Amino acid sequence: MSPALLAANSALADQTKSKTARTAKAAANSGAGKITAVNPKGTPPPIQLIPMAPRLDTLSGKTVYLVDTGFHGSDVLLHQIEAWFSRNMPDVTTVFRRKAGPYAEDDPALWKEIKAKGNAVIMAVGH
Amino acid sequence: MGIPSAPLVTKAFKDLAILNAGKRGMPHERICFTPHPVWGKTPEEVRAYVEGPDPVSGKPLMKEIIDALTAPLSAEDKKSGVVSVSVGPPTYTDTADNLQDFYLNNGYTDFLPIIIPTEERVEAMMKATNHKPDEAVGKMAAGAFPAWSYNVRQVAANAVMAGCRPEYFPIVLAIASSGTASLYSSTNSFAFAMVINGPIRDRLEFNYGIGALGPFAQPNATIGRAWTILSKNLGNGGIPGDTYLGSLGNNLNYNNVVIAEHEDASPWPPFHVQRGFKKEENVVSLFRGLGVVPGQVARGSSANENVQFDYQMSDLFSTFTGFFGALIIADPLVAARLKEQGYDTKQKLIEWLHKNTVQTVKDYKSRNYAYLFDYPRALRGDEPWASWYKMPDDAVIPHFPHESDINIVVAGGQTNAYPQAGNLSYGVSVSIDKWM
Repeated sequence: MSPALLAANSALADQTKSKTARTAKAAANSGAGKITAVNPKGTPPPIQLIPMAPRLDTLSGKTVYLVDTGFHGSDVLLHQIEAWFSRNMPDVTTVFRRKAGPYAEDDPALWKEIKAKGNAVIMAVGH
Repeated sequence: MGIPSAPLVTKAFKDLAILNAGKRGMPHERICFTPHPVWGKTPEEVRAYVEGPDPVSGKPLMKEIIDALTAPLSAEDKKSGVVSVSVGPPTYTDTADNLQDFYLNNGYTDFLPIIIPTEERVEAMMKATNHKPDEAVGKMAAGAFPAWSYNVRQVAANAVMAGCRPEYFPIVLAIASSGTASLYSSTNSFAFAMVINGPIRDRLEFNYGIGALGPFAQPNATIGRAWTILSKNLGNGGIPGDTYLGSLGNNLNYNNVVIAEHEDASPWPPFHVQRGFKKEENVVSLFRGLGVVPGQVARGSSANENVQFDYQMSDLFSTFTGFFGALIIADPLVAARLKEQGYDTKQKLIEWLHKNTVQTVKDYKSRNYAYLFDYPRALRGDEPWASWYKMPDDAVIPHFPHESDINIVVAGGQTNAYPQAGNLSYGVSVSIDKWM
């Protein structure tokens, strides 16, 4: 399990342990009365790990889709990446597409097209 | 898809991207980063980004991207299975002062002092509902994240923390059951509002008179606050850099815009009746958007014997984004005046506002939200945006796509005829009675 995966939750758990220990110690030292309080946190869903898709041996001769999620500037960024491939790896075919639908929504038609015609995806978010 | 991908994100969203990839089950996703921001940069400036280093790894960005697509996978990259996530034990035991610090330091609060949710207080809170402590209430996500779930006891702890009296609890449960978080991940610093209708307004002594939107009554103050605290704890919202990205934040998030409708002083049916509920039912209705502005700033708001509130509201709307709707909060004096002018139903006013608040296609397309939200919907063929994007620049279109985007409620103390208007969209109305 990557430390990054549950950084927030594991950090919270670590914090919880250390702070509970510290505060419990302080309370014991002060002799002040203790009370029991309910943890107000909800219940997070378990995480279903998804194996990553197999990688390519090389991009040469392959088709790379450049997908603009719709944030401002993503198109400019992806067109510059397109230009980089043209200058530096001309045997890579690039296809620019702006994803339909708001940025957090799937675009099943585009995913289908990429699966049928593409070998790899670069998806860019601007801002 | 089964196709290798390289997500490319600006550096400002590093934590969000890495943490969310993990929550979605891909902790080793090969995310590449560019400097921030990309927005507003020239192609030449962006070319320098592309030819420069990834600001997180320090390696050349294009090498990072190519490696992301071609470097062999590790055993960790190929892992499947289920991982459970813990948020600590069910209870904590310590002194009151230490628990106050503990809850604050761990992000359980809104950084104001809380009422410690002792077992006794939580039990007392739960006595105000017939629902069992372990009964599932709902699920909530503060953005495009996996939703968290929660039961009656967990909601009760949050209601205690916010300072709610037990008799307020059914309203907090109704809000929680909606699954609507009042802290949302967007960079846009969203604001949220609730409208309370029904006899419960008087039974709990909500303020809907002078200072209706201000800090002048316990239910208005604490139920609004409870929405934010529970959005943090039950919906995992409000973690800056992770589940909250609002650049400036929004002061309204402390306790949201709580509007108990002044039903008796309104010339029109109350809001919940418009939504199909009976007048004697108790209902909370939730809204989301950008904030609230006062009518005094609108054209036509000068001292005028024949003040035209319809034109005032239309003028206010012209600064709003049509992505969100409009929520007019009319003082009873404003509502009475509008009725005198012929708006004997809310619908008549809504129809006038929808018809007369217009813009050219050119102005529309220049708006931030049009590009960000409407254009991609137009690409998908969603109406009316698909048609709007085919029209000539000088064509005139409504400011709001639908009449239903405009809503009106009445509240206030009648000390002056001032409306306020929120750039707020209606979301959902929930029965409070079902949670009693």
